[in-house]
Amino acid sequence: MADSPSYPDADHARMTPKRGSATRVPRWVKVFVIVFIALVLLFVALHLTGNGFGAHMHMSAIEQGVGQQ
Amino acid sequence: MIMAPGLRKLALTAHVTSSIGWFGAVAAFLALALVGLTSQDAQLARAFSLAMELITRFVIVPLAFASLLTGIVSSLGTKWGLFRYYWVLLKLLITVLATLILLVHTQPIERLADTAAKGWLLGADVYQDQLQMVVAATAALVALLTLTALSVYKPRGMTPYGQRNQQEQSTSVAVEDALTN
Repeated sequence: MADSPSYPDADHARMTPKRGSATRVPRWVKVFVIVFIALVLLFVALHLTGNGFGAHMHMSAIEQGVGQQ
Repeated sequence: MIMAPGLRKLALTAHVTSSIGWFGAVAAFLALALVGLTSQDAQLARAFSLAMELITRFVIVPLAFASLLTGIVSSLGTKWGLFRYYWVLLKLLITVLATLILLVHTQPIERLADTAAKGWLLGADVYQDQLQMVVAATAALVALLTLTALSVYKPRGMTPYGQRNQQEQSTSVAVEDALTN
């Protein structure tokens, strides 16, 4: 998850956020989280509408297959 | 608790190996799903379903858990921490979510393989399932590539927890300096 620290150890002062933006969430994190949430919602929506993996899709195959046995 | 350099490298080696292995196994899964999708041979489609179930159960799931665990150990054992930097925190969230989604999908994959083993699959159903497996495996590869990119680029940004932690450490160091001088 995290390899050898390059900036926590190397140059702490240089990497420390400026005082005014110390508590601000970086823009890349905001964009990342928005995209991430959108993808998760898309994934959930696909499943709820029956377009994802689901027992219902496989059961139909099984039932039809059983009928052929 | 900061690990000794040797132990840290060992944990990192395990983490990189399991993560790359996870990526490779998903890529192999995707290749099988793609070939199964385009193949007109029902026997081949059944064989691919069985192979995908084996890869999932014996390679992908163990490597996903190994990647998660070794990642947590590597983070906690270095100054990066697990909650101090946004990129580490996001990696953790993505890995946990990817592992959970994988576990959710394991059951349908096993059921599909079981159905294939019994020779019950029909062409249309196979096509639909293979298509969904292609989509799922592609999404997994994108997630794993994102994890790799986060590890390599390590985009800047410290969480509020990390900032507090850093301030506390600076304060304690300053107090120690004042006491010794």
